[in-house]
Amino acid sequence: MRWLRAFALRVAGLFAKSQRDREFAAELDGHLQMHMEDNMRSGMTPENARRQALLKLGGVEPTKELYRERRGLPLLETVLQDLRYATRTLRKNPGFTLIAVLTLALGIGANTAIFSMVNALLLRPYNFPELDRLVRVWENRGIDEGADARFIAPGDAVDLQSGAPVFDALTIYKCGDFNLNTEGNVQPVRGCHVSAKFFDVLGVSPALGRAFSVPEEQPGADQVAVVSNAFWQRRFAGDAALLGKVIQMNGKKYTVVGIMPRGFDYPVPMELWVPLALSPAEKTDRAKLSLESLGRLKPGINVAQARSAMDSVSQRLQQEYPATNANRRAEMLQLRRELYLYTLPLFLLLQAAAVFVLLLACANLANLLFARIFGRQKEIAVRTALGAGRWRLARLFVTETLLLSCTAGVVAVAVSFWSVKVLRTSIAPSWTMWVPGWDGIQVDRTVLAFTLLLIAVVGLLFGFGTVLHSSQAQPYTTLKEAGRGPMLGSKGRLRSALVVAQVVFALVLLVCAGLTTQAFLRLADVYQGFQAANVLRTEVRLPEKSYPENSQIASFYDRMLRGSASLPGASAAALVTNSPASNVDNESTFFTINGRATAKASEAPSADLQISSSDYFSVLRIPLVAGRTYTLADNANAARVAVISRSMAARYWTNGDELGQQIKLGAFDSTEAWMTIVGVVEDVRQNWWNRTNRPTIYEPFFQAHKRSMVFLMRVASNPEGYASAVRDVVRGIDDQIALTGVGTLETEITDSIAIIRIMGVLMTLFGCVALALSSVGVYGVLAESVARRIPEIGVRLALGAEPRDVMKLVWGQAVKLTGIGLAIGVPIAFAVNRAMSSLIFGIVSINLLLLAGFTLLLLLVALAAAYIPARRAMRVDPMVALRYE
Amino acid sequence: MAQKKDVWQGTLALMVLKTLDTLGPLHGYGIARRIEQTSGDLLAVNYGTLYPALLKLEQEGYVSSEWGVSDNNRKAKYYKLTRAGKKQLEREARDWEQATAIVARFLAPGEEVS
Repeated sequence: MRWLRAFALRVAGLFAKSQRDREFAAELDGHLQMHMEDNMRSGMTPENARRQALLKLGGVEPTKELYRERRGLPLLETVLQDLRYATRTLRKNPGFTLIAVLTLALGIGANTAIFSMVNALLLRPYNFPELDRLVRVWENRGIDEGADARFIAPGDAVDLQSGAPVFDALTIYKCGDFNLNTEGNVQPVRGCHVSAKFFDVLGVSPALGRAFSVPEEQPGADQVAVVSNAFWQRRFAGDAALLGKVIQMNGKKYTVVGIMPRGFDYPVPMELWVPLALSPAEKTDRAKLSLESLGRLKPGINVAQARSAMDSVSQRLQQEYPATNANRRAEMLQLRRELYLYTLPLFLLLQAAAVFVLLLACANLANLLFARIFGRQKEIAVRTALGAGRWRLARLFVTETLLLSCTAGVVAVAVSFWSVKVLRTSIAPSWTMWVPGWDGIQVDRTVLAFTLLLIAVVGLLFGFGTVLHSSQAQPYTTLKEAGRGPMLGSKGRLRSALVVAQVVFALVLLVCAGLTTQAFLRLADVYQGFQAANVLRTEVRLPEKSYPENSQIASFYDRMLRGSASLPGASAAALVTNSPASNVDNESTFFTINGRATAKASEAPSADLQISSSDYFSVLRIPLVAGRTYTLADNANAARVAVISRSMAARYWTNGDELGQQIKLGAFDSTEAWMTIVGVVEDVRQNWWNRTNRPTIYEPFFQAHKRSMVFLMRVASNPEGYASAVRDVVRGIDDQIALTGVGTLETEITDSIAIIRIMGVLMTLFGCVALALSSVGVYGVLAESVARRIPEIGVRLALGAEPRDVMKLVWGQAVKLTGIGLAIGVPIAFAVNRAMSSLIFGIVSINLLLLAGFTLLLLLVALAAAYIPARRAMRVDPMVALRYE
Repeated sequence: MAQKKDVWQGTLALMVLKTLDTLGPLHGYGIARRIEQTSGDLLAVNYGTLYPALLKLEQEGYVSSEWGVSDNNRKAKYYKLTRAGKKQLEREARDWEQATAIVARFLAPGEEVS
């Protein structure tokens, strides 16, 4: 502990230095006086006595110096001194400091925010315990192309659970809308029918009440419900008396037995869950894949093991039930992977862009620091000439660069936290509620620590680099040269090389950022085949009680369509069962082609079914490929017709003779009527997760009536403005019918691809940051190099050169260097482009216009960077310019 | 050189402590003279090195200092052994004696053994 006391006192010795100096001077003075007196007593002259005393002491100043070294902490003192000096230097060059700090902070901050977001969303989208053990299970019939829906046959689910002993539990469920009846007022709520093990599998129990029991899976015993916290708060104001209360849905009474904890949301924002009660026949059904499934793997079982266990069950089922299960295979994916399966490439692109921005920032800083090394040759030479050692100089410069990177680091940490906060809060809840895991986004410490370490290393490297570089030069030569224009000789060439390198860096990284943005926008353009602008959408539900007959349904919708289409500004109105971007898959159906009937369910082709009124194709502007679309004349009294999608025609009628062929819904034994194909329309991307175009059958509404439909209307502009007019039209027909989900189709789309939109915004931001950074980088390096020529410009002007000629000279130089940089950069950019497209999914060749734009931008920046310092040089007095440093 | 200096500093500290123990409170000049008298030329060249050594001892709490007046009416800083310093002196003296005893035995003329 003695050393600690000594250390504390030495730290104290750093303060009140002058007082301590005075005290020691007095002590030494006393010492000398006493010594002199003794000496004189032994017979010396006063002068000699003093001389001898001083000699014995070893000199006053060296003694003081020794004493001072022991008094304080010499190492710390020089560090503080260096820090003070570094602060002064950085303050003297505010432009440089600001650019360097902002560049780094922006690069690091953006990077941290993005990696934090991606990590939170990909690794922890749900708060379920041991999330990695949760897997989605579904079956693939082996003959469906482009089926993105993941369903399982109930009979197979039972066999999978018993035959593949890899699951703790497997739950099956089916989601859809319920009609909640509160005091005669019918509202749609999102809900699911789930098997009793649903909540066990997810590992979450109700906050209040209980989950379902197995006996409640029996039809008749299933009228109990568990509700979400949001449902409880919103519709029942958090009243605990809701437990045990009866709610009416779909004409049945359900007793609320449980309320889930806040934040429990699976799948997507759900409001309630009721038992899935299947009849014995439904339970063993294998013909149709109708349910969704989720399993919890046993501890220690990984996905590969589980997959192979499921494969053997699938093979057994294929042999046991060839009529239904031939070619059918069970598949599995971790829940957390499934969620972002389709957006994963976008996440990767976003991360790639973030990395490029960080690289751009580092390259910028490196070049700026390099440029400064040249600028400080003279200073280093002076210091060396005055006796500064290499180690001492290194410490000085390392202190300076470290101070710079630390400042940037502090700002970067602040920027990181701030940007993550902004990211979390600035995006509308109506978007983020579709993004599981959004609330869990926080600054990822590992990422932050890594980036901070990176800048510390950059700082150290450049600190040492400065000294290493300078130690090669003889101080004498440097001092001699310093007065002249440093554009002369090898230094000038080096600086030119630096400008060229910066241009190359900037162009290549800009192209990388551009490529990722371009790929992103292409991938994010998920809805294709229709035009969503200026379309109003709303849902209409006709109660069964007042509309029991098809003719009544037809008459209501007929009047509604005619009434709305005749509104001023409206061009067409239509009905459809599932509008695009609904986040719900189309109903899928087996179908049979007349003359090609297959006797086995496993071979029955399937397609999506859309029921729509005749103007649906014109409202969404879906192009007609062949034949005709149906009209109002294709009604209940006319012959049954159908329109099919282009991909369906291409798949089943390879020689293009689909028009006039007959199909019916259902397998070979179905009793549905034959429909004649009268037309082919372009494929429509129904939901953002659809990667391929599903074969789709369109059936005319007036031949296949349904009570619940989506109403779509195309207007000239401002679709929201028509909401009340449409309401009036409906009220004029039946004032008991309320419209739900009124909005524009564009909003619907925006909401449905919330995460993609959010990422799109970020991507665009990155593009801007990359542009700004590369401009700043090129500007900084070039401006520095022109500023070095100011004395030269002074000489030229003093010797009578015209300002115009000088400007031409400076500009010529800038254009030449930038040109060389671009000439080197463009081929590299192409090479990088090729490398990237093989590495990152979705990257294609760079848009040449974009490349031209980048080139032009860098050239313009170069001109400005040369112009501004040169202008300044020309305005000053040549004499001042000559003395300029 | 460096080795000699380390030994010298450790020895100097011990001598300072011993001097203060024997003579009581004393100023820097007095300590220097005393050490010179007893140790011969060890301090002959440089009285100055005594002051950082004193400062170190003071920082470690083995001595304390106080301004006082010398015999011939001069203001001088007086150094005094603290209780911790006394203990340290005993400890160091013991170590030193042990060390010298061992070295002495080691260096003892071989004739005796043979």
